[in-house]
Amino acid sequence: MLFTQVTLINRILIPRIEFEMNPTGSLCANNWARSSSLVPPGNGLQTNLSLDPSSFFGVGIETPFKEINQPSPTQCVIPGESKKDVKITDQETSKLQDWDPSAMLNNLSFLEEKIHQLQDVVHMIVNKKFQPFEQPRELVTQEQQLITADLTSIIVQLISTAGSLLPSVRNTVANTSPLIGQLSQLRGINLPFGTGTSSGIQPQNNCENKLFDHSIQNDVPNKCEMEQNHNMEEHEHKDEEDMEEGENLPPGSYEILQLEKEEILAPHTHFCTICGKGFKRDANLRMHMRGHGDEYKTPAALAKPHKETGSEPKLIKRYSCPYGGCKRNKDHKKFQPLKTILCVKNHYKRTHCDKSYTCSRCHTKKFSVIADLKTHEKHCGKDKWLCSCGTTFSRKDKLFGHIALFQGHTPAIPLEENKGLAEPPDRCDAKENSTMVGSMNFCFGSNPSSENGIDNMMDVKGNIDDPINYFSSLNFEGCNFGAFNEFSQPPFEDSDSSFSFLMSGSFNYAPKSGGESCSDNL
Amino acid sequence: MLSESVFCLLTEDLLIRILDRVNSDRKSLRLVCKEFHRVESTTRKTIRILRIEFLLGLLQKYCNIESLDLSVCPRIDDGAVSVLLSHGSVNWTRRIKRLVLSRATGLGYVGLEMLIRACPLLEAVDVSHCCGYGDREASALSCAVRLKELNMDKCLGVTDIGLAKIAVGCSKLESLSLKWCLEISDLGIDLLSKKCLELKFLDVSYLKVTSESLRSIASLLKLEVFIMVGCYLVDDVGLRFLEKGCPLLKAIDVSRCNCVSPSGLLSVISGHEGLEQMDARYCLSELSAPLINGLKNLNHLNIIRINGVRVSDFILQIIGTNCKSLVELGLSKCIGVTNMGIMQVVSGCGNLKTLDLTCCRSITDVAISTIANSCPNLACLKLESCDMVTEVGLYQLGLSCLMLEELDLTDCSGVNDIALKYISRCSELVRLKLGLCTNISDIGLAHIACNCTKLTELDLYRCVRIGDDGLAALATGCNKLTMLNLSYCNRMTDTGLKCISNLGELSDLELRAIPNITSIGIKAVAINCKRLANLDLKHCEKINDSGFWALAFYAQNLLQINMSYCNVSDHVLCLLMSNLKRLQDAKLVHLTNVTVQGLELALRSCCGRIKKVKLQSSLRFSISSEILETFNARGCKIRWD
Repeated sequence: MLFTQVTLINRILIPRIEFEMNPTGSLCANNWARSSSLVPPGNGLQTNLSLDPSSFFGVGIETPFKEINQPSPTQCVIPGESKKDVKITDQETSKLQDWDPSAMLNNLSFLEEKIHQLQDVVHMIVNKKFQPFEQPRELVTQEQQLITADLTSIIVQLISTAGSLLPSVRNTVANTSPLIGQLSQLRGINLPFGTGTSSGIQPQNNCENKLFDHSIQNDVPNKCEMEQNHNMEEHEHKDEEDMEEGENLPPGSYEILQLEKEEILAPHTHFCTICGKGFKRDANLRMHMRGHGDEYKTPAALAKPHKETGSEPKLIKRYSCPYGGCKRNKDHKKFQPLKTILCVKNHYKRTHCDKSYTCSRCHTKKFSVIADLKTHEKHCGKDKWLCSCGTTFSRKDKLFGHIALFQGHTPAIPLEENKGLAEPPDRCDAKENSTMVGSMNFCFGSNPSSENGIDNMMDVKGNIDDPINYFSSLNFEGCNFGAFNEFSQPPFEDSDSSFSFLMSGSFNYAPKSGGESCSDNL
Repeated sequence: MLSESVFCLLTEDLLIRILDRVNSDRKSLRLVCKEFHRVESTTRKTIRILRIEFLLGLLQKYCNIESLDLSVCPRIDDGAVSVLLSHGSVNWTRRIKRLVLSRATGLGYVGLEMLIRACPLLEAVDVSHCCGYGDREASALSCAVRLKELNMDKCLGVTDIGLAKIAVGCSKLESLSLKWCLEISDLGIDLLSKKCLELKFLDVSYLKVTSESLRSIASLLKLEVFIMVGCYLVDDVGLRFLEKGCPLLKAIDVSRCNCVSPSGLLSVISGHEGLEQMDARYCLSELSAPLINGLKNLNHLNIIRINGVRVSDFILQIIGTNCKSLVELGLSKCIGVTNMGIMQVVSGCGNLKTLDLTCCRSITDVAISTIANSCPNLACLKLESCDMVTEVGLYQLGLSCLMLEELDLTDCSGVNDIALKYISRCSELVRLKLGLCTNISDIGLAHIACNCTKLTELDLYRCVRIGDDGLAALATGCNKLTMLNLSYCNRMTDTGLKCISNLGELSDLELRAIPNITSIGIKAVAINCKRLANLDLKHCEKINDSGFWALAFYAQNLLQINMSYCNVSDHVLCLLMSNLKRLQDAKLVHLTNVTVQGLELALRSCCGRIKKVKLQSSLRFSISSEILETFNARGCKIRWD
């Protein structure tokens, strides 16, 4: 099934290549004239959308397929959640849950419909070509442009729907090796055309990615863009959305663009025209293209497409959320626009989508943006400053401020952290070690980049420093390293009690640990 | 029969009045007759328990006690407490207001919480020197909502969290000592200052707090006494917060705060003209002119201690002319103290009761004579290392200062038998220190023994000319002696020791490195000195097993023993350690006749009640780690020498 899907997409994409051969300069000019609601090329959003002028999306595109299942993250299973002893059955059920044939059927029929639509469009073009010189040349180009727009939107819809067929595939991969599944998930990679190579490909891509960014820095003097690139690199550094809260642009001084929710939720915006693989960034796509032949390895092909609008007066662009009634929606009375497409994406996911990513450590916090989950997981478990009211704090002074403020609140002392007395020291060690290893694995899985690697080291260190890691057991379950459970068994009998046995002749009172049994002794 | 009927006729309140009048030992009074016993039992408010065996019985007998002291009672642990509280009707806890659990290291947070919850009226708790105490114990303490007084000195594990527990739980706290609670930081102190607004006394000595803490503390409106010895991170900025805050401040102690300068201290002084006590020991190198001017305004100043400061005659004159109500002056180790300066200060401060001139080496008999003439009320005079003081000065002292209770003449080589004769006129003397006075002999000691019958403490450390005759005189004259130091008095023999054994009140006896005493003398002491609690026999190499055997059987009240370098065998050591049920501190270094196995056995036999052991560091890895862990778990501290 998978194979047919890929070939299908390949077939669909072939006409698109032909269209891209069109000269782009004039197109742009026309765009400007035509509508303010279109995204002209080269506006600095290249990383999210695309650099090629053919892939812009208008507001006017019809809202399709309400009935279609979105590529929804709820379908993902967090492998860590399944308990060890019932693992196998759990996996099976989860597989069954994700395996929703009716939804797939829906998707497929939608694909079919779209392909027909596409065929119609192409037919139209073909027909037009047989009627030469009947229309003024300008009109022809305009028409072509319109068609291109339609075509692009259809293709994008096609691909995103095709992608939504995939979670089931992904889960089979995930289930065969829970760790890998967890890794890929935490990394926020949806293994788009997951053909089983999963873990191998992605880190490699990341490397390339970095290399490329580096080269961009050298090549392009545009600071602003570089920064943006970096933001992307860091996986949506959280709140540009919030940062521009205070921005006060007079209405009308900027252009409002609104993406449809399907576009917002589409996992990828850049697709390889040859194999159909999707990418989040055009840069990644260009790096990927190198694999398809030497012609893609030229500096010209690898460089960022030159910006045409340099001489044009720049009109500021702001984005509107497609969700009606939202403050970020352009129809809202106190409309506050969003700055970038990234902001739109994060805003839409955070505000109008299910929070489907659950923290694998605390199992309580939920997120809709995977980057938020990762940020949380970095700190989850470090909220060790606990108030009697149940509120946790990551910093001691915050806890004390809270206590000072509220009458009767006191810092909570964790219930039973095994002090040396109650258990032999070996046990503590084993526990600590396992926590450490657990978090290491976890961290390495989530962030392969070197920068985060340093963070990980610190994480680990934090765990060592803090002998009383209340969350250690949680970590444990999350990671499901069966082997460590054996360690946590007390290796031998409580030394204190054995000692008291030795000394029982001369003692009136039982040892400290057995406070209750004392009355019997007397 | 007759006497019994006499007391039967008296009403209870008359009997109580009689008992109140008789201030002497209530213990012996109790033995007079049934009525006395009954009345004594009902009126006794405080009890200090030495042995756990009698604890329950005593508590049931004395149903009205308000203060329970378990600080010297070994084996107080969680189990013991649960037994105490579960036994029948628990009446004794109902009235308890004060609990002294100092050094009760065996007690954990479970027992502590049980105990505190059982005492609903509890107002004061002392858990000082419970080094293992941490936040859990602090949390247990915070259950005492009526708590007004809390001493947590050297509870090393208590952090800000524990302090926060107490601050929130015990908001009525008036007195809190956090000395050596090294984990507590500014955050905890800040919260304390916000929650415990009734605080009158606060001790934050040796904490790693900064000036920020003083900003918080300055908001305590009722604070009267603030002690911050050795807070080396606090500087003048912090003291300036105090200038405007703590309006009722009466006493401040900034001793050993290295970052404090005279200007900081001046800001405190200028904000509080009612200051009564100022301690600035070893923190200033000298007093600046503005500070001296500032002192002029402190008319209520009672106590000033400026040990280690460079002073001049002028400064002492200022103090003498302005601080008329001065009761105590501490000039220990001050540089620049001259006869002139002393004469000027004492001529103004006629009410002086305590004068510390330790190591003021340039003062002579002239100064002592002036002191004697100017300060008739003098009760305590410390002249350690004042070499120039001779019998001439002390003559005047004996004539004028008849109220003198404490005199420290340690290392004053000018003191001889004649000087002792003059001193002996001070018949109120209670504490006399003559250590390193190598010129005194039995004759001088006999003068003291004859006249100073109230003497309870006598230090004869390295008075090498003292022999058995002097001790014989001492034993007959000063029969109230409780503390006696005879270390390195190498002329004394078993004869002298036998004399000493007549001192029935003796509790502390130091006999370090006396080569001639043997088991015979020690046996006499063990049998007769029933109250003996601290005994130092280090390097008494002639004492053999029979001496220690006697100690093991007779000296049942022994609390501390130092038997390092003694010739004791495995067997007797085990016997001693297991038989002395009150023993809490033992120094067992270099016991040549003791094997590791013997030592281990001895340690096992006292495990559970002993709180401190000193062992040879070379044995650190030969003693089984199991024992060491158990000791650690039971709150016993092992010191490696």
